[in-house]
Amino acid sequence: MTFSAELEARFAKMMQSYPPGRERSALVPMLLYAQDEIGHVSEALILEVAARLNISRLDVDEVIGYYSMLHKRPLGKYHVQVCTNISCLLAGGEQLLEHAKKSLGIGHKEVTPDGQFSLEEVECMGACCWAPALEINYDFHHFVTPEKLDQLIASLEKVQ
Amino acid sequence: MAELVTLTIDGAQVQAEKGALLIDVCKARGIEIPAFCYYEGLALQAACRMCLVEVEKMPKLQPGCTLPVAEGMVVKTDTPVIHEARKSMLEFLLANHPLDCPVCDKGGECELQDMTFRYGLGESRFLENKHHVDEQQWSPVVFFDRPRCILCYRCVRICDEGVGVDALGVVQRGVVSAIAPSHGDHLECDECGMCIDICPVGALTSGMYRYKTRPWEMNHVGTICTHCSNGCKTTLGVRGGQVIRANNRDHSGINGEFLCVKGRFGWDFVNSTERAQSPMLRTNGRLEPVSWSRALMTVARKLNEVKQRGGRVGFIASNHTSNEENYYLQKLARQGLRSNNIDHHRTGDVVTLIDALAGRTDALATVADLYAAKASLVIASDLAQQQPLLHFQLRANWRHHRSRTYVVTPGPVRERKFAVKSLHAEPGRELDAVESLRDDLSKEPELVILFGDAIQGDAVRRLVAFGDSLGIPVKYVCLLDYSNSRGAIDMGLAPGLLPGYRPVAEAGLEPGMTIAEMLADASLDVLWVVGANPLRNARLAAENAFVVVNEMFLAETAQRADVIFPAASAYEKEGTVTNVCGEVQSLKKALKVMGAKTDLEIFGLVAAEMGIDLGPFQPGAVFEEIRREVRGYNVSLPVIATGGAAQSVPLNGRVPALTRAELIQSARDTLFTSGTLGRYSKNLTSVLEHPGKLYASGIETP
Amino acid sequence: MPKINEIIGSAAAIAKGMSVTFREMLNPSITDLYPDAPPLFEERYRGVHVLQRDENGMEKCVACFLCSAACPSECIYIEAAENTDPKRISGGERYASVYNIDYNRCIFCGYCVEACPTDAITHGHGFEIASYNTATLIYRKEQLLAPLPPGAQVPLVVNEEPVGAGH
Repeated sequence: MTFSAELEARFAKMMQSYPPGRERSALVPMLLYAQDEIGHVSEALILEVAARLNISRLDVDEVIGYYSMLHKRPLGKYHVQVCTNISCLLAGGEQLLEHAKKSLGIGHKEVTPDGQFSLEEVECMGACCWAPALEINYDFHHFVTPEKLDQLIASLEKVQ
Repeated sequence: MAELVTLTIDGAQVQAEKGALLIDVCKARGIEIPAFCYYEGLALQAACRMCLVEVEKMPKLQPGCTLPVAEGMVVKTDTPVIHEARKSMLEFLLANHPLDCPVCDKGGECELQDMTFRYGLGESRFLENKHHVDEQQWSPVVFFDRPRCILCYRCVRICDEGVGVDALGVVQRGVVSAIAPSHGDHLECDECGMCIDICPVGALTSGMYRYKTRPWEMNHVGTICTHCSNGCKTTLGVRGGQVIRANNRDHSGINGEFLCVKGRFGWDFVNSTERAQSPMLRTNGRLEPVSWSRALMTVARKLNEVKQRGGRVGFIASNHTSNEENYYLQKLARQGLRSNNIDHHRTGDVVTLIDALAGRTDALATVADLYAAKASLVIASDLAQQQPLLHFQLRANWRHHRSRTYVVTPGPVRERKFAVKSLHAEPGRELDAVESLRDDLSKEPELVILFGDAIQGDAVRRLVAFGDSLGIPVKYVCLLDYSNSRGAIDMGLAPGLLPGYRPVAEAGLEPGMTIAEMLADASLDVLWVVGANPLRNARLAAENAFVVVNEMFLAETAQRADVIFPAASAYEKEGTVTNVCGEVQSLKKALKVMGAKTDLEIFGLVAAEMGIDLGPFQPGAVFEEIRREVRGYNVSLPVIATGGAAQSVPLNGRVPALTRAELIQSARDTLFTSGTLGRYSKNLTSVLEHPGKLYASGIETP
Repeated sequence: MPKINEIIGSAAAIAKGMSVTFREMLNPSITDLYPDAPPLFEERYRGVHVLQRDENGMEKCVACFLCSAACPSECIYIEAAENTDPKRISGGERYASVYNIDYNRCIFCGYCVEACPTDAITHGHGFEIASYNTATLIYRKEQLLAPLPPGAQVPLVVNEEPVGAGH
């Protein structure tokens, strides 16, 4: 499996920053960065990372199962993550999620047929004072109302 | 002596080593702290929270399994708060644990059952439906029932740390986390069953034992495994004349909790339907069942007749029969028939090693030494495949004591994962590679050298000379193949050696024929093969030789026999066996298979029929004679009688050794093969995954 | 005087005795006409055991061996086997492939019934087990099992394969 030159350089730097014999600590960042590039944690990626860190496939699976932000299935181009944890819930996070489901036409952990959007209900992302919050890919959006969400979706649809 | 600290446990002043774990200190004081995930020798986990104790000045209850004792610590293990905590922990563990104890294989010896009985609440406040997941089969021997799992991680740790296979892991998180096998839905591993044995509940169950019976219904007989030369103790569960399972129940013996796939599952040849259960006599060219008296008489008459006319008689002995049987057989050959044509399949050059050591009694390592030695050197052997216990010991030594291992092998072996230096050596060039390690090895405080059959004859002498020149204490293990390979050569089953490595000239005899010579001798009159299969890959030159065979199965050699005596397996007899390190341990009779007699009985009855007096043929009496007559076998009786291992020291003086390379060859059995026994064990053949060559690529990637 | 007292006393005793006789003459008879008529049992009479089935006709016994462990005269012998999809005998994962009770030894104490976690073994009202041949007193599972409920199918046996025969 081949990665882009930047990613390879990043991996090489990362491997240097751990003490010898502890290279497996690079597992989580490696998976995250590779996921950003490929879109999801594919079977080939799992095997590649396992081989590079000299650990078993099961060791990689354990980590992927543990962290909810590592996805084994392809996501949409824009991954909408709506928080429904306590602060957001009180500020209308639940309604926001329901609205997102309706306007995107997909449910939790599903992808739109055109592959543009995917939706996920997530736990607290540390934006409690700006609740309700959501995150699209790595961008935070605060005090989101259903109308604001529709605008967001519409603007992203235009980007294509 | 390590630094001591004084602490108070339940009001009593206790002294303990600084840094010792509280749970161990309490155990030594006779105070039980219940725990599931804590397992001596494995990494700490603190997953089950059963071992909570109260420590003064600490705001919350502390897990005793990860708490090192400190000066002035005040610990309480028996307070209402702790009782309450234990009850709650058990309630949580049982929240999703099915109460199918009546059908669960673990019922009756389940740690969760015991703990609930002793510390539990008796009722649950959880009224919700339990989450059900269907049982999964991971391999022919491992089944996983997920709802029963309490996630103590013992199986994961024993597989990774203990055995070094790393075939189990934990996937997902929270309430859905579960133990998972290495290959998605199945396991590819050593199939040793350690995970099943170590599981405190019935989550991991054995394919061979599941739903067969209950623990209290079996007779448990602790005997010695009859496969490889490591001599692991195995407790056979026997019910109704059938072996149902094997494990080392009480963790006694040299192997502690360890057993490999052969010891744990390779017992079913005993109850194989293909066992010979009646003596057979060749009449008109066909083997037909006859009575014992007829078969014994036929053999006795034939031997007497050949003896009178000075004919040639040969004996090929076994690697599995007990010391008593071996001793009695050579007595029958040498005293009864004045013949030195006696040999067995030799799998390692112990003779030259003992000669080269020339009487040094402290230079032979025991299995325990492998766990204690500061450094070890493995030459030309794949321990994980051929000597599983020795591998386990070395690995445990590295885990617990950071011992240093050096490996010199022709291919990749599992020890390389933890070895400080691994060298590749072409067959025949091993000693050159060892020589290149001289600087490293001479810096070690002590060394144990394990070598396989590639080092024999002069090479052994050169190796011992190398060890001597290092200037440090060096011990040796000459690796052998089978359960009593060592006992066979100790008992003089060789054409040139009497029991205790005395030359035959001492008895006024000329050296006899080796196996190869016997098979090639066209004028041989009688060949008696005991528990061996020399005709599998060879032909008997003497067309008209009268062949007597003691066997369990009608394998190739038995097909050529004129008389077959159905022999008992090691699990059906009393006696002693000697393991690869020269440790003598006793066999216990676990069951009786109808029709078969022990080899000792067969030899004794034939001798009696021939009119020769060789003394009583009871195992105890013969062992007494061995202790008197065989040098080095004057071992402690109480140790052996109580199920211990006593090392024999057959070393006093030189041995006029005759080593010929073609005579010494390991059978290269892997974890899943075991000569003829393995062929007739359905359990073993069903888990056989790597039938290939020992050093074939890929064998090491579980 | 003592003579009179004696006569009165005797008469009173006879009257008292006869009163019982006359009273019982009016009550229904409690003598069983066995073997001409079937005997009457109390509900909890401990007779020959019955191995119960569930409403689908499956055997309730899961071969947990608790009855045989509880038995003070060690008269219960069980061999267990695993239920497979083609051959399903009991409701649990395991069933009793052999279930023998030796009535030479059974003392009808009821401990086995008490021990049973699935209410599989119960005491029936059978008692006519006397025999000239003690060998016939070892009852096998087939003799102990309750009849199939109406409409239930006898579990079908399709080709049997031993466990661990490969995967």
